[in-house]
Amino acid sequence: MTDIDVHHLAAAYALDALDDRERAAFEAHYGSCDVCRNDVMEFRHTLTQVADSLVAPPPLSLKDKVMAEVAATRQLSPLVAPVVALDERRRARSLATMAAVAAAMVMIVVGVVSFRGGDETDTFAADLAHVMEQPDSQVLSLANQGGAEGTFRVAWSNSLGQAVLMGEDLPTTPDDKAYELWLITPDASMAMYVLDPAKDGNVHRTLKAPADPTAWAITVEPAEGSPTATGDIIFVANV
Amino acid sequence: MGVLRAMRARPVDIAADLNDPTGDLLRRAGRGDQSAFAELYDALSPLVYGVVLKVVRDPSQAEEVAQEVFVELWRLAARFDGTKGSAKTWAATLAHRRAIDRVRSEQASRVRQDRDANQTVRPERDAVASEVEASFEQVRVRRALTQLSELQREAVELAYFGGHTYREVAVLLNVAEGTVKSRIRDGMIRLRDELGGES
Repeated sequence: MTDIDVHHLAAAYALDALDDRERAAFEAHYGSCDVCRNDVMEFRHTLTQVADSLVAPPPLSLKDKVMAEVAATRQLSPLVAPVVALDERRRARSLATMAAVAAAMVMIVVGVVSFRGGDETDTFAADLAHVMEQPDSQVLSLANQGGAEGTFRVAWSNSLGQAVLMGEDLPTTPDDKAYELWLITPDASMAMYVLDPAKDGNVHRTLKAPADPTAWAITVEPAEGSPTATGDIIFVANV
Repeated sequence: MGVLRAMRARPVDIAADLNDPTGDLLRRAGRGDQSAFAELYDALSPLVYGVVLKVVRDPSQAEEVAQEVFVELWRLAARFDGTKGSAKTWAATLAHRRAIDRVRSEQASRVRQDRDANQTVRPERDAVASEVEASFEQVRVRRALTQLSELQREAVELAYFGGHTYREVAVLLNVAEGTVKSRIRDGMIRLRDELGGES
């Protein structure tokens, strides 16, 4: 997908008219593209006016259900900009921009927005774009099990042998525990990676991926990693 | 094109959004204020439910999805940033996205069931223009939509109201994908210019 193609997807993106693959590609792009970000903001504003013409009275029972669930639902903490040294001003600026965008768009899993900022984000964005460009790339959202909080998405390409993993809004684990990713292959062997989300609960990793993985799963394991899964599977996706 | 668009880009109503009363409620909700959230629900639930119902059609599913949307707004309330769009836009965006998620996952399971029977699931085209009570907003939006070319309007409506991807819209309208992509873009630009900044 060329850059020009990506620019032209802002309207379709705002309409939720992209499939998962293009959505991920667009999200990889627009975090760093002022034109697209502005387009998406404007189109969403326009669509809110269209939405205003659709208002319909909800069932009366809905409010009680919502308020009951709200009373039992923990809220996520606000995003806090990290303190950055002066010589990192350039990074700080892009960080602030990204944090602001993410705050506005936080309901969408914006794969490349990492609050660690800087080169790491750039590298990850490049890795993500590279994987997504492959004709055989696939994207999956892992389903949470047993009410686990947060989201995990993975994109990979068999031909490239590479995967990118995006975890968002993850609760912190106790100090002696860590998230562990399991990549299950057709011969039932497993690759595992210990994941260490940043304080903001996000983790972005580029991984070597064996061809044709059959499943991806996340467990919580001892912080140093465990060769076999001991915890419950809290996220899983079968390919 | 991109540069021109950037040059003429207008800031989206940031001043208006600072006075956004729902934004204030959402910020209070972000500090754990459930009564503020109840007020926010009263203000936004017809919008959220209306958007979801339009896309998923089935009232009981619409109720479930609308509930998900509000619980998510509650969860994320502390991360709301009013300078990047109003609380209302946030709610409308989230409502549409969750409705789309619901119809796409439903459709995926239906496709699996139907595969053996060799049936193609064709999204419905009617009901896209289904009427609800006329209101000022409806008249305004309908009038704005008439300013679009027929293909632009159909493409935007099938995507937004019908919940179809632009590739599906291309099949429905029997035109090339690239054509739909550009009609959607042109249509949205036209619609934005017609509706202007008021909200």
